[in-house]
Amino acid sequence: MGQLPFEGIRVADFGWIFAIPHATAWLGSLGAEVVRVESTLAPDIVRFLGGTDGMVGINRSGMYNSINFSRRGIVLNLAHPEAREVALRLVAKSDIATENFTVGNMKKFGLSYDELRAVKPDIIMLSGTPLGQTGPYANTVGFGPTTQAFAGMCHLTGYPDSFPCGIGGTWPDFAVGVAMVFFMLAALHYRDASGEGQYLDLSMAETVTAMLPEAMMDYFLNWREQGPIGNRAESMAPHGVFPSRGDDRWIAIAIATEEEFGALCEVLGVPVLATDRRFTRLAQRLANVEALEAEIAARTKTFDRDELVARLREHGIAAGPVYGPVDLMQDSAFLASGMLVELEHGESGRRIVPGLPAGFSAMKPDYRPAPTIGQDTDEVLSGLLGFSADEIAMMREKKILM
Amino acid sequence: MEAQSEQPQALKGIRIVELPCLDRMPILAASMAAKAFADLGAEVVKVEPPRVGAPERHEGPFKAEIPDPETGGLHLYLNTNKLGVTLDLRSKKGRELLLRLLESADIVLNPNMPALNDQLGLGWPILTARFPKLVVVSLTSFGTDSPYRDARGGNLVTTHMSGVGYETPINQVTDPPNQPPLKPAGRQADYLAGFTAAAAAMCALFHRKRTGAGQHVDASLWLAMVSMIRPSIGVYSHDTPDAPYGVRIRTRDKIGVPWVYPCQDGWVSFSPLTDKFWRGTKTIMGNPQWAESEMFATLTSRAANHDAIEALLIEWLSSQKKHDVFVKAQAEHVPCFPVNTPREVADNPHYKARGFFVDHQHPVAGEVRMPGAPCKFSRTPWRIVRGAPRLGEHNRKIFVERLGLSESELQALQSDGVI
Repeated sequence: MGQLPFEGIRVADFGWIFAIPHATAWLGSLGAEVVRVESTLAPDIVRFLGGTDGMVGINRSGMYNSINFSRRGIVLNLAHPEAREVALRLVAKSDIATENFTVGNMKKFGLSYDELRAVKPDIIMLSGTPLGQTGPYANTVGFGPTTQAFAGMCHLTGYPDSFPCGIGGTWPDFAVGVAMVFFMLAALHYRDASGEGQYLDLSMAETVTAMLPEAMMDYFLNWREQGPIGNRAESMAPHGVFPSRGDDRWIAIAIATEEEFGALCEVLGVPVLATDRRFTRLAQRLANVEALEAEIAARTKTFDRDELVARLREHGIAAGPVYGPVDLMQDSAFLASGMLVELEHGESGRRIVPGLPAGFSAMKPDYRPAPTIGQDTDEVLSGLLGFSADEIAMMREKKILM
Repeated sequence: MEAQSEQPQALKGIRIVELPCLDRMPILAASMAAKAFADLGAEVVKVEPPRVGAPERHEGPFKAEIPDPETGGLHLYLNTNKLGVTLDLRSKKGRELLLRLLESADIVLNPNMPALNDQLGLGWPILTARFPKLVVVSLTSFGTDSPYRDARGGNLVTTHMSGVGYETPINQVTDPPNQPPLKPAGRQADYLAGFTAAAAAMCALFHRKRTGAGQHVDASLWLAMVSMIRPSIGVYSHDTPDAPYGVRIRTRDKIGVPWVYPCQDGWVSFSPLTDKFWRGTKTIMGNPQWAESEMFATLTSRAANHDAIEALLIEWLSSQKKHDVFVKAQAEHVPCFPVNTPREVADNPHYKARGFFVDHQHPVAGEVRMPGAPCKFSRTPWRIVRGAPRLGEHNRKIFVERLGLSESELQALQSDGVI
């Protein structure tokens, strides 16, 4: 279990907010040395989203800590003309460089791909922006959740025939982050084979649209515009979220076969529904889906959520409790999943953070707490980049290191 | 049918075997994971059940709604660049052939539940023991060693057990009993788990480069979706329940501004609250008197008065067209995008300029358009080399040319229903 796959790989991480920090957390947890570049003059806004024990502070955000683990942190004021040399020294010693500034900012800092390539010919550079580096709207600003609207996601998500919706989990940031991991590793694999680096231009919107094939292919095959269908599916019914006993307690049920529908009606104590002419076959259930859902909801309401889930699972039915984040954190299977790790953070203390969302039989990820801002500046600049103590002090005085 | 191109492909030389989901509740995660590899040049052999084929062949959308397993939209999209073979994994002969195929594979993607794999002798402990260099990827609803390993899940259930459904829609729930938690459009849990598995499999391949050893990668729809709400988990473990985000993770009720707003001819996404975005928002609205109120002076006061901001913003938006708002807001560096419909996505000049949607001539389906590269590689571009395979199209190529079976053996397999 000793060796990690990315030992010896270094990442110059100019990314911020959610997507890139998540991507580099994968690499850092699996052995890469990720050097995250931040500045107190333009801090990552996530550092101020939420706090620790009710107190907000630049090193106290639970959100930041749950994303930025397993990396070193330095401060560098990229807007200062002399910061460029420090950044380029870091890039010259790195395998991958990441950034998700508004299009054009890296060029303004003197850190475009061509400039990075000049100091490190085989560098792999990933830029991740709302709409990519080219095209008429390239120069846009946006978070993932605003960008998903452009990609078609909001229009297609919503209650049946109702208004478009924003999606939780700051969709699609972490999905984009995972895709970034795959793309960076594909480029690294190619570099190992060929000696050649390259530039990766990732558009968050395109990543989202690439995950909407049901609606996009319907449009291209039939010129039909799909709209929101709630929790329903085209090929299953019932396929929905139903109330259970208590306030705001719900159960998700997806019925795949006629036998499962029969079993569902049995468990709900309404076997007569299975022979109701409106519901006998899938086609009828889809045609009468509103009536079907009303009948089922009237019954599920009388059951305890977890009891009903257990009984449906006995029949092999896909059913589960609807969890909010707090419910999820009480689920014993989740707590035992290995995804949660406890880390000792410099200011927040001992806290649980979510690690990687996949398990490995032969690798144990190296989880280290998120850096306090600039905590490794001196060590990285002197140890790795070869600046003297005097030079570092001077750069601090000139507000380059802040 | 193979397009020739001088441009190299990033993952050329990697060999993947994608197993079919045999469950009655189909999971498409392995198909998406394999597509990610195939589209960058890896060789993917997609194994399908004889006669019926992979589940996505039977899911819409179909042209003119006429079901056809060779021309369904999901099949055409998910199976680009793959080789297709048929194998009955429930037969002994079929499993023997699969094991021979795995001898030269780097990665196998398996979307079946542990109990079925045990029954078939295809559980990961068996495969990793038999093929020590192989990366064995399980792609199930809950993970292979979860207490829920034998429970059926799928896209809807895992989405709602992850917290994503509970957080959706965000700040738009005004009638909680009649607005249940909501899943994102389509099959996001499947596709996200697919990308998660692809990324994790690449990590395992790099591990093998160093150590020579394969391993088991355990990916699940559930944990892939849980990963989306990691900020909420961080808030849960750090903050007090009465702090602003502490409250947010405990309710579905509307307690802040939403991401999307109605305007004259549709909807836009908008993020007005930070100082910089608020300044820009005021500018595009023509600096109305009300915006100067003390109520909106700081981030904290704006957050506290979110209902007033939202109402006034919607009032202004009611006279604005969504494209104009997008352009005006972006000129002031305010995050704002039109809520595009599928047609607006398909015809979008920006996507067009980037060549995002690609056309390709499929031997059965004819001209097909579909989403293309989510990431542009400057040296090894994403591309379609071949369209989705016909059922069993590459049986001869794989079983005869690769594994060395004779023509008569191939025919016997066919008449026995093994392929």
